[in-house]
Amino acid sequence: MVKKTLEIYSVELSGTKDIDQTDKGDDGKEKYRGLKNCFEPKKNHQKEELKKELDLDDHKLSIKELEKKYGTNIITGLSSTQAAELLAQNGPNALTPPKETPEIIKFLKQMVGGFSILLWIGAILCWIAYGIQYSMNKSSSLDNAYLGCVLALVVILTGIFAYYQEAKSTNIMATFNKMIPQQALVIRDSEKKTIPAEQLVVGDIVEIKGGDRIPADIRLLSVQGCKVDNSSLTGESEPQARSSEFTHDNALETKNIGFYSTTCLEGTATGMVINTGDRTIIGQIASLASGVGNEKTPIAIEIEHFVRIVGGVAISIGILFFIIAVSLKYHVLDSIIFLIGIIVANVPEGLLATVTVTLSLTAKRMAKKNCLVKNLEAVETLGSTSIICSDKTGTLTQNRMTVAHLWFDNQIFIADTSEDHSNQVFDQSSGTWASLSKIITLCNRAEFRPGQESVPIMKRVVVGDASETALLKFSEVILGDVMEIRKRNHKVAEIPFNSTNKFQLSIHKTDDPNDKRFLLVMKGAPERILEKCSTIMVNGQEQPLDKSTAEAFHTAYMELGGLGERVLGFCHLYLPADEFPESYSFDVDTMNFPTSNLCFVGLLSMIDPPRSTVPDAVTKCRSAGIKVIMVTGDHPITAKAIAKSVGIISANSETVEDIAKRLHIAVEQVNKRDAKAAVVTGTELKDMSPEQLDELLTNYSEIVFARTSPQQKLIIVEGCQRQNAVVAVTGDGVNDSPALKKADIGIAMGIAGSDAAKNAADMVLLDDNFASIVTGVEEGRLIFDNLKKTIAYTLTKNIAELCPFLIYIIVGLPLPIGTITILFIDLGTDIIPSIALAYEKAESDIMNRKPRHKKKDRLVNQQLAVYSYLHIGLMQAVGAFVVYFTVYAQEGFKPSILADLRVEWENGNVNDLEDTYGQQWTWYQRKYLEWTGYTAFFVGIMVQQIADVLIRKTRRNSIFQQGLFRNKVIWLGIASQIIIALILSYGLGSVTALNFTMLRPQYWFVAVPYAILIWVYDEVRKLFIRLYPGSWWDKNMYY
Amino acid sequence: MTKKEKKSFNQSLAEWKLFIYNPTTGEFLGRTAKSWGLILLFYLVFYGFLAALFSFTMWAMLQTLNDEVPKYRDQIPSPGLMVFPKPVTALEYSFSASDPESYQRYTEDLRNFLKPYDLEEQKNLTACPDRTLFVQKGPIYHACQFPVALLEACSGMDDPEFGYSRGNPCILVKMNRIIGLKPQGEPRIECISKSENTAALSTYPPNGAIDLKYFPYYGKKLHVSYLQPLVAVQVSFNASSSAVKEVTVECKIDGSPNLKNQDDRDKFLGRVVFKITARA
Repeated sequence: MVKKTLEIYSVELSGTKDIDQTDKGDDGKEKYRGLKNCFEPKKNHQKEELKKELDLDDHKLSIKELEKKYGTNIITGLSSTQAAELLAQNGPNALTPPKETPEIIKFLKQMVGGFSILLWIGAILCWIAYGIQYSMNKSSSLDNAYLGCVLALVVILTGIFAYYQEAKSTNIMATFNKMIPQQALVIRDSEKKTIPAEQLVVGDIVEIKGGDRIPADIRLLSVQGCKVDNSSLTGESEPQARSSEFTHDNALETKNIGFYSTTCLEGTATGMVINTGDRTIIGQIASLASGVGNEKTPIAIEIEHFVRIVGGVAISIGILFFIIAVSLKYHVLDSIIFLIGIIVANVPEGLLATVTVTLSLTAKRMAKKNCLVKNLEAVETLGSTSIICSDKTGTLTQNRMTVAHLWFDNQIFIADTSEDHSNQVFDQSSGTWASLSKIITLCNRAEFRPGQESVPIMKRVVVGDASETALLKFSEVILGDVMEIRKRNHKVAEIPFNSTNKFQLSIHKTDDPNDKRFLLVMKGAPERILEKCSTIMVNGQEQPLDKSTAEAFHTAYMELGGLGERVLGFCHLYLPADEFPESYSFDVDTMNFPTSNLCFVGLLSMIDPPRSTVPDAVTKCRSAGIKVIMVTGDHPITAKAIAKSVGIISANSETVEDIAKRLHIAVEQVNKRDAKAAVVTGTELKDMSPEQLDELLTNYSEIVFARTSPQQKLIIVEGCQRQNAVVAVTGDGVNDSPALKKADIGIAMGIAGSDAAKNAADMVLLDDNFASIVTGVEEGRLIFDNLKKTIAYTLTKNIAELCPFLIYIIVGLPLPIGTITILFIDLGTDIIPSIALAYEKAESDIMNRKPRHKKKDRLVNQQLAVYSYLHIGLMQAVGAFVVYFTVYAQEGFKPSILADLRVEWENGNVNDLEDTYGQQWTWYQRKYLEWTGYTAFFVGIMVQQIADVLIRKTRRNSIFQQGLFRNKVIWLGIASQIIIALILSYGLGSVTALNFTMLRPQYWFVAVPYAILIWVYDEVRKLFIRLYPGSWWDKNMYY
Repeated sequence: MTKKEKKSFNQSLAEWKLFIYNPTTGEFLGRTAKSWGLILLFYLVFYGFLAALFSFTMWAMLQTLNDEVPKYRDQIPSPGLMVFPKPVTALEYSFSASDPESYQRYTEDLRNFLKPYDLEEQKNLTACPDRTLFVQKGPIYHACQFPVALLEACSGMDDPEFGYSRGNPCILVKMNRIIGLKPQGEPRIECISKSENTAALSTYPPNGAIDLKYFPYYGKKLHVSYLQPLVAVQVSFNASSSAVKEVTVECKIDGSPNLKNQDDRDKFLGRVVFKITARA
C-alpha cells in the first residue's frame, strides 16, 4: 500500500531531466521562456493567482469542436508524423525541473561568500606587497607571495569543502526524485500503441484504466465507472467520479477532465490530451511554487550577522592599525603586511567549515530519527520553530481507518485502535457479537493480497477501500482466518456498495451443514439500514424494533458520529428455506429476495486513529512553547475529535461553540475570551480579513482548521508569519508546495508526499510521523546551543592571535606569531575540538524553554563576543605572551631589550645584533629564534584552547554537572590538538617554510597555569549565574 | 525602492541617536550610568588582576634566569661573521678617494670603534698567553689585551684615514660573540676577492689569524671590557683598472673544525660577503 501510494503521487519534476536534454529543441526552450514570462511580470500577484483557479475551457467544448481544435480524430488518433511534429513544437510531455543554479555559480558563491572575500583581500594585498618589494629589489624574499598563495589556497580549499558538503546533502535529496518511467496507451495511426508518456502530444487519444497515473491533462471522451484521486492537486482525498459530461464551469471541478499526475483509481476511460508538460495544471502550479521566494533560514541570517560582525571588527581594527602604523612612520608596505596579519588573525578561517560539518552531523543524526534534512540550515530553523501547522491524516493519525467503537446489545464498546490492535477487550460472549462478526466478515469485498501470511495483520496489503480494509483487519484480528470463513460461507449473490443505495448486501450459504437457509447480510449507512429493519437483536435474541430501541440506536449513532467517526449499520436475515431452496437462483438486478424487515444487529464506527506517539509529542511541544495548529481537509467534527485525542485541543479547553452548548446560549453571546480553542472551517477562513485571521491566531492558543483547501494553508502560514513566528508546515500534495516554500521550514511527508512537495520542502519526514518533527525540534535547539559554543570557542583565540600583531606594531617586539602559524591554529588544531562541541548533550531540558526569538536571541550576541574576546581571549593572549617571553628570555633576550627591537631585528644586514648577555646574533639565527617564538606562542594558545573547549561544554551548568567524560569526542578533539601540535613542532620542525621549530618540552607547560585559571574563572562565572539568576552578572556574563 | 532605503536610513539614524543617548531610560550607549559604572569597575578589577598575574608570572620566570649566562645557547652554536663599519644599505661600501666627505662616516665609525682597542684603554687588561684558550674560573674574569697595532696598516695609528684617502680602504671583520664558545684548531679569517685581477687583499694580523686567547667569552656582565678579536682587510686596487673600481670580497672563518662557514640558509654563519666600490 505504502509503496503504491508513493508511485501514485509522484510527479515528474526533475527525474526526466536527462531524457529531455536530447530532444529539447530551441523551440521548446523558447516556449518555456514564454511561459515563464507570462508569470514573471506578475510575480507579486502570484499568490493571488495561485489562490484563484486556473483557466481552461476545453471542458466546455464538444467532441467535434475538440477534434477540430486539435486536428485529431477520436477513432484513429493522430498520425505518427503529426505527433512527431507536435512533439518537436511543444517539447516533451514532462515538467521542466526547477531551475537549478549552475554548479559553477554554486562553486563560485562558496569562493566569495562569508569570510572568503576578506581572505581574498588579504591574498591580493600579499601579492601587491610582493610586487612592490620585487620592483624595488629583485632578490627580495618570496615570503609575501608565498603567504598570498597560502591564503588563496585556504579560501579555495574551504570553498571546495563547503561546496562538497552542499553537493553531498543535495545528493541525499536527489535520491527522492527518482522517477519511475511512465508508459501511456495511445491511439495513433488507428492503432493502439504503448509509448513513453513523455512523447504524448496535444490531440493524442489515450486510454486509461484503474491504477494508471493520468499521463497528461486529458479531456475525457468516454468513461466506464472511472474514479480518480485528485488529492495531490486539490487536497480532497475522496475519490472523484469522472464522466464525459461537462458539469462545472471551473476546470478543476468539472467531471470531464482528468489531470496530469493524478491517479485513476478504478474503471476505464478514453480521453484526448489537451495539455502536456509545463502547460498542464500541475505544471503551472509547480512553476508557480518555484516562484514563491524561498525565505532565508534563520541560521543563515545568524551566520550572515556573525560574519558581518567579525568582518567588521577585522576590517576596522585592520584599518585603524594601518593608520596607526603609518603615523608611527612605518613603511606603507610594512603597514600593508600588518593589515594582512590583522585580517588573518581576526578571521576564524575554519569556522564556516566547522559550522557546515556540525550541521551535517546533526542532519545525519536526524535522518536516523526519520527526519531527512534537505537544506542543512533547516536543522536549526526547526529548533526555533514557534508554530507547527500540521496535517492530520497520516501525520497525526495512522492514515488508516480503524474500528474504534461497536454498538450492540444497547451498549457501546471500545475497540483497541493502537497500531497493532492487539488488545481487544470488549465483551465477545454475547450472541449478538457472533451474528455481528459474521456480517462483518461476510459482507465485505476487501481481500488480503495473497502471500502475506508472515506479515503482521495490520501491515498486510489489502485490496479494497479504506472502511472495508478496516473491517477486514478488525475481523481477522479477532476471528482469525477471514478468507477461510468466507470460503465456508459460500457467497451466492452480492450487491456492491453504491452511493444511491448506500448499502452493501450479500447472500451466503451458511457453514452449518444442518441449516439449509441462506443468510442475507447487509451493511451501510446506519439510518438506511435501520429503515430496512423490523427487529433488533439483543443478547442474541431477536426482538421487535420498538420506539425505545430506535431511540437507543439514535443516541448511540449521534454519540459515535459526534466523536468524528464514520458509522456503519449492520443487519442480517436468514431467508426461510421453504421460499429459498438451495437451488434458488438470486438475481441482484431484479432483487428477487427481501430487503426489508431485516434484523438489526449493531453499529460499528471507524476512525483514522491518532498515532500513539503523537499525544506525548504534542505535550512536549506545549512545554517547549510551540503552538501546534492542525490544518486538515476533513470534517470539523472529525478534526476536533482527533485534536482532542492528541491534545492539540487540551482536555479542559473549550471552543466558543462548546461554551454555548454548555450554557445553552447562542454562540454570539459567548465571551470569546473564555474560549481557548477554536475550530475554523475553510469557508469561515475564506471570509476572514487578514486582520481577523491575525486576531484569531493571537487570541486562541489551540486552533484547528478543518475543511481547508491546500491553498488556504498558504494563507494560514502567512498569518502565522505576521505574528513573527517561525512556522513549520507539513504537506504532501502538489498544492501544498507554495505553503511549504513560504514556511520557514517546509516538511514534506516521505511516504504520502508527492515529489513536488518534497522538492519544495526543507525537510522530509520519512515516517510521516508528527513525533519525528518534535525530535527534530529538539535536535534543532541543541544544534543552536552547540553552534553558540563552537563559535564562542573559535572566536576566543582570535584575540590571542590579534594581540601579538597589535603589540608588535606598537611596542616593536619581534613578531610573536606568524600569519601561517595562525592558519595552523585556525585550520589545524582547532578544527576537531570545535566540531566535537556538536556532540555535546543538551545542558538542561531544552524542551522546556520558549522558542528562540528570531530577532532578539541571536547566535552571536554581545555577551558572547565580549566574554570570548575580552575575558577568555585576553587571558589566552596573556598566557601565550608569557610563553613567548620565556622562550626569548631563556635564549638571551630579556623582555626589557625586546621593546622597540623590531627594526634592527628584522634587518637582514644586521648580523651582529647583541642580546642581553652580550652575544651577537646573525639575522638567520634571530629568525630561527623568532620561529621558536611562533611555535611557543602557538603552543601557548593551543594549551589554553584545551581549557577553552572544556569550559565551552556548558554555558550555565558546572562542567562536573554536565559530566566531564560524557562527550568522548571532546577528548578526541583535545588529543587531536595535542597530536597536531606535536607533529608540527617535532615532526615538521625542520621544514623551514612552515615556521615551526622543535620546542623544548618544558615550554609546553608554561601556559598551563593560565589554562587552569581559565577553567576556574569560567566555573566561577557559571556559579554566579546559577546562584543569582537575573542579576547584573547573569545579564552580562551569560551568552 | 530608493524611497524605502532612504526611510530605513533615517530610521537607523534615529535608532543610532537613541542608542547613543536615550533620554527616557537615561541610557548612554545602551547602558545607564550605574550600569556603566559597574561594568567599568568590573573591568578595572578584572584587568588589574590580569595585569598583576602577568607581572607575577613574568617576575617568577625572570627569577629562574641567570644574570650572567643565558639559560640556553642552542640557537647560536656557531658564530656569524660581520664587517665594520656598517654601510648604509646592504653590505656595499661606496666612496670616492678624492672626496673625504664620501668616506668620512666610515673612518669616523672606525676610529670610534677602535677607541677601546687603544693602548691606553687596554692598560688594565691582561696580557694573555698566546695560542691557547683563556679559560677562567672567576669570580673575576679578565679580558685579554688586543693591541691595535696588530691591525698594522689598518690600525689607524699611521693612517687616520684607514687607507680610504688612497683608495685602499680597510674593513674590519669580526666574529660574533658567543658565550662559552671554544674554537678548535687555529681559527683565522680568510678573505678572497671574487675578481682577483682588479684588487689585491691584505689581511692583518697576518694570515687573518684569530688568537684562541680571546676565547671563551664569559658574557657582558662578567667579562667586562672584553675585547673582540678583529681582523682587518685592506683592499688594494690595481692602478691599471678604470676610474670606477669594484670588488666583491668574501671572508670566511677557516682552520677551526667547530666553527661553521657554510650554511645554505644562514649567509652570515662564519662568512661574510661585501662589495667595495671606489671611485677616483
